[in-house]
Amino acid sequence: MSLQFLLDGLIAGSMIGLGAIGVTLTYSILRFSNFAHGDFMAWGAYAALAVVGALGGSTPIAPLSFGWPLLAAMVVAMGLTALLALVLDALLFGRLRARGQSIIVVMASFGASMALRSLLEFMFTSSPTYFSRAIQMATPIGFGVRITADQVALLILTLALVTGMHLFMQRSQRGREMRAYSQNPALARVVGIDVAKVIRATWIIGAALACAAGVMVGVLVQIRPLMGLDLLLPIFAAAILGGIGSVPGAVLGGLIIGLSEAAAVQFVGAEWRAAVAFVILMAVLLVRPMGLYGVAER
Amino acid sequence: MSILQVNALVAGYEPGLSIVKGASIHAAEAEIVVILGPNGAGKSSLIKAIAGLVPITGGQVLLDGRDMTAVPAHLKIRQGLAFVPQTENIFPLMTVEENLRVAGGVLPRADVAPRIEEMFTAFPDLARQRALMAGSLSGGQRQMLAVARALIVRPRVLVLDEPSAGLSPKLVEQVFSRLSEIRQAGLTIVLVEQNARAALAIGDRAYVLVEGREAHEGPAKTLWDDPIIAELYLGHRKEAS
Ligand SMILES: Nc1ncnc2c1ncn2[C@@H]1O[C@H](COP(=O)(O)OP(=O)(O)OP(=O)(O)O)[C@@H](O)[C@H]1O
Ligand SMILES: [Mg+2]
Repeated sequence: MSLQFLLDGLIAGSMIGLGAIGVTLTYSILRFSNFAHGDFMAWGAYAALAVVGALGGSTPIAPLSFGWPLLAAMVVAMGLTALLALVLDALLFGRLRARGQSIIVVMASFGASMALRSLLEFMFTSSPTYFSRAIQMATPIGFGVRITADQVALLILTLALVTGMHLFMQRSQRGREMRAYSQNPALARVVGIDVAKVIRATWIIGAALACAAGVMVGVLVQIRPLMGLDLLLPIFAAAILGGIGSVPGAVLGGLIIGLSEAAAVQFVGAEWRAAVAFVILMAVLLVRPMGLYGVAER
Repeated sequence: MSILQVNALVAGYEPGLSIVKGASIHAAEAEIVVILGPNGAGKSSLIKAIAGLVPITGGQVLLDGRDMTAVPAHLKIRQGLAFVPQTENIFPLMTVEENLRVAGGVLPRADVAPRIEEMFTAFPDLARQRALMAGSLSGGQRQMLAVARALIVRPRVLVLDEPSAGLSPKLVEQVFSRLSEIRQAGLTIVLVEQNARAALAIGDRAYVLVEGREAHEGPAKTLWDDPIIAELYLGHRKEAS
């Protein structure tokens, strides 16, 4: 039996995990489910595509399908996606949040999601596009598993981003402030934490990581306006499975969802893949609503 | 001169529904001022309004003569006003040390680590628990952490809401003797308490708050001996002493 599904699951799980970090932070700090989060991925991928185009294309580095220009474009696109999130917050979410009803903010994020998707379809059409059409050679690494250089590079990138993110949340003052604010907003203000800065950091981090995940999907699979929507359910399942508010939980949740999906494709049938995230989500909500790393509601 | 001066403060949670209805209090340098009153009188609301957590619709809060009425909550600590809420006054999912560190964000960066150590010297109990999640502290240790967290930024006025709530008499004594010591160092303390007896014992002056306004003011020592006050406003007869 081939263990290829483990690698496939690990890679899908990394991208889900990166997306889930943003969802879990938005939920625990801004107190709403942002259904437009998947569209940050798609916008991030298209932004990177546009920047690569402006840079005159990407000359690949030996075994990879991409080169430095794509990495540079990804960094720029992360900034642009963060900007998009901040603009949305200033125009839409922030104003609604001030009125205090979280369900209205959630509905607004639905609307924003549709608008963002339609805009992408309008600008780039709904047909898929690619960073590179070159066929990559996959190297066998035993147990029937074959891996491409791109996959290795993106797994390393994910690891770096997740580690960096974890250190930021644990060691930096802003990270501590974000955790403090998610635990007790009123007390956070009392101890001198500037809520506006915490909210800004939350959007920037969530959107930038979503963009990175979108670029990865673009490199490994394809870029489509609907790419974010397809990942939305797995991302939410991962965030809830990991425990809302927990960054390591979101990543672990992402890996579990990714691996489960891949296992379902391998052992049950490809048509069941989409159902897996839903089943896991329901099971978590019924059995352990606070998730793996979560704490029971105060 | 008063370091904290609250003039005819009106505040409430919803528009048109005032809970604090024109309360005036003041506190001098290094004074302990006690605020008593029956449940629901608006004691917590009054000091939450002072701290910037309840919208103020009238009156003034002055700190050292500067108008702080409209200053947002997170900037008050920078002006020297520290507040310890009645409940949920620590971050339970952060360690004891992180609780201090996150509050230290107001200080210059180089100041934070030494200040944390000073707090641990002043509160040796906390030093032993520094790596423990604050949520797993006992009630008394939590209050100490909340006080240490407020003191770390060297405030000029410390406002506390029922620091003795839920503590055993022995712990109450400990917390209050700590507050006395802190005052010796020149800090002004405003103390809301149900535990009138213990609070009046360390207090200099006291107010009785009824229905959102101060109904009585006097020296702490004589207030305890005033039978009318005890009967009417504290809702109990003074036990024989
Ligand atoms: N968050 C809130 N939203 C709306 N109303 C509130 C809120 N907190 C308190 N109140 C109302 O304000 C009034 C005064 O409450 P407050 O907590 O200030 O009284 P207190 O004097 O501190 O009482 P206690 O001795 O029980 O602590 C009460 O009628 C209460 O219902
Ligand atoms: Mg109270």
